[in-house]
Amino acid sequence: MASLSRKSKLNSWNYADVIIFIVLTLFGLIILYPFYNTLLISLVTEGEYIRRPFMLWPEEPTLRAYWYVFKSPLIVSGFRTSLIVTVVGTIYSMFFTVSIAYALMKNFPGRGIFKAMLLFTMYFAGGLIPTYLLMKDLKLLDTLWVLILPTGATVNYIILLQRFFEEVPLELEESAKLDGCSEVGVLFKIILPLSLPSLATFGLYYAVGRWNAWYDGMLYIKDVEKQPIQTVLRTIIQNAAAVQGEAVGTDTDMDKVYAEGVKMASVFVTILPIMCVYPFLQRYFVSGLTAGAVKS
Amino acid sequence: MAKNTMLDEHYSKMSLMQRIAYHKYIYLILLPALVYYIVFKYVPIYGLTLAFKTYKASKGIWGSPWIGLENFHNLTINVGFLTAFKNTIIISFLKIIFGFPMPIILTLLINEMRIKKYKNVLQTIYTFPHFLSWVVVAGMCFNLFAGDGIINKFFAVVGIPQQNLLTDHKGFLGLLVGSAMWKETGWSTILYLAAITSIDTSIYEAARIDGANRFQQMIYVTIPGIAAMMATNLVLSCGHVMDAGFDQVFNMYNAAVFDVADIIDSYVYRITFQQTPDFGFSTAVGMFKGVVNLILILTVNKVVKSFGQKGIV
Repeated sequence: MASLSRKSKLNSWNYADVIIFIVLTLFGLIILYPFYNTLLISLVTEGEYIRRPFMLWPEEPTLRAYWYVFKSPLIVSGFRTSLIVTVVGTIYSMFFTVSIAYALMKNFPGRGIFKAMLLFTMYFAGGLIPTYLLMKDLKLLDTLWVLILPTGATVNYIILLQRFFEEVPLELEESAKLDGCSEVGVLFKIILPLSLPSLATFGLYYAVGRWNAWYDGMLYIKDVEKQPIQTVLRTIIQNAAAVQGEAVGTDTDMDKVYAEGVKMASVFVTILPIMCVYPFLQRYFVSGLTAGAVKS
Repeated sequence: MAKNTMLDEHYSKMSLMQRIAYHKYIYLILLPALVYYIVFKYVPIYGLTLAFKTYKASKGIWGSPWIGLENFHNLTINVGFLTAFKNTIIISFLKIIFGFPMPIILTLLINEMRIKKYKNVLQTIYTFPHFLSWVVVAGMCFNLFAGDGIINKFFAVVGIPQQNLLTDHKGFLGLLVGSAMWKETGWSTILYLAAITSIDTSIYEAARIDGANRFQQMIYVTIPGIAAMMATNLVLSCGHVMDAGFDQVFNMYNAAVFDVADIIDSYVYRITFQQTPDFGFSTAVGMFKGVVNLILILTVNKVVKSFGQKGIV
């Protein structure tokens, strides 16, 4: 099909092409509109929103909501927590992914048992209560560690990475070993540098997962100042109950601020980091999915 | 499969102890992972014994007294659980019925898009929502669909009676399915598009020589080319019916729609952390879900493999 489309000129468009163009554009707008709406609401005053609900752009844009958001101690602490968890957590997860993938390449005694143990965790888990009680027994509740330590590596990524590692030519490893390189040396000097694109892909997945994590923050951390940004955001959205339209928190400044605007500004700053990197790194994001499907 | 090195001629003659010694660094590398899996994965699995006990905080999981199958018996007569079980299956199937065909239709349309640059821009837009959390998506949805949201304001203008989809039973289910499709449809097209690129172009050539137009090529070449993947996806999604989407439901629902929207995972959370907890019973509910899930996934994996596709890795 691709070869056909390349050959045909724009002037040979027929009705089908026009319809396809319109339908795909419409779908794109449906995806984009909620983001645009979020941005709009965050930039207007309540008065303007009531006056012109169907506005396409704000007439008197204001950054009050953003000013409020960046002054809010909870959002600032949430960002700090999420940043730490994202950086440390991604390294933590990558460490397990790389070490297990590398070990599984080798035919060591016990490999089968270890792999079965790994695969079983994909299908079955202890679930909410046993995990919660474990965190309590380990004294991890209300610490940053509880947001990092329990989330290890994704088994799918380990298996995909193992396949990438196995594509590294055996001769390279052998010659490095003959030059006196240890197992660990081979991993760092030969295999990892040759697998950078896939490492980038899985690293991105882990980072996005960490940034988006809200459940562990809600479950294990009662001290709101230690909660990650998504958990804080959830509190802002749920407490200021969309349905009732109550004000966020008890800050007196809130009287002058449009509550819905603050909520949308909080949403927007939370997705901004992902929004900024996604268009440039889309290639890496996508390749992780197709790699799993194309190789067999 | 594990690689064999050229040193393996010696290796095959080694005794078990020698082999272990030969791989000593590998064991060293694996040690942290082993500790991780035992502590964070297998200790909680042991904790499932709580489903057969009545929890006494002072005695912990190990010391709490056994009560046999009582928790599971209570489960079969608990109205809240039965409702959640029914809702889980209904929501999952609604998502499959509406969510399964959409990516296929979108894939076929994208594949026919002739301006390559525009196609790439669209794909970037379509796939982006996949990387957002449900906290964020729920926040955006509330704003759009609340009683005084833009959608209702629009309804008022065109004369459709206002309704709050967030509190209406049918409306809320529609919102669950619709927002899941908004978030995931674009991402799901990627595998189909990858499958299309692997269709042999000579088949298209042959079809064209036989006089097939673009529509006929789509029907007779493209669709059969991705049929296996369609079947695989359908079967695999049936394996996940017990996961109706906790992140989504928990962030979007409210007390007004518990009757239709409370799923097993959200039910377990609520009875454990928002009511007087009975840890034994909660664990039994979680374990019931886990076991049904395990059976379903192993079954669909077998089905998928039987028609020559790779299952869940």
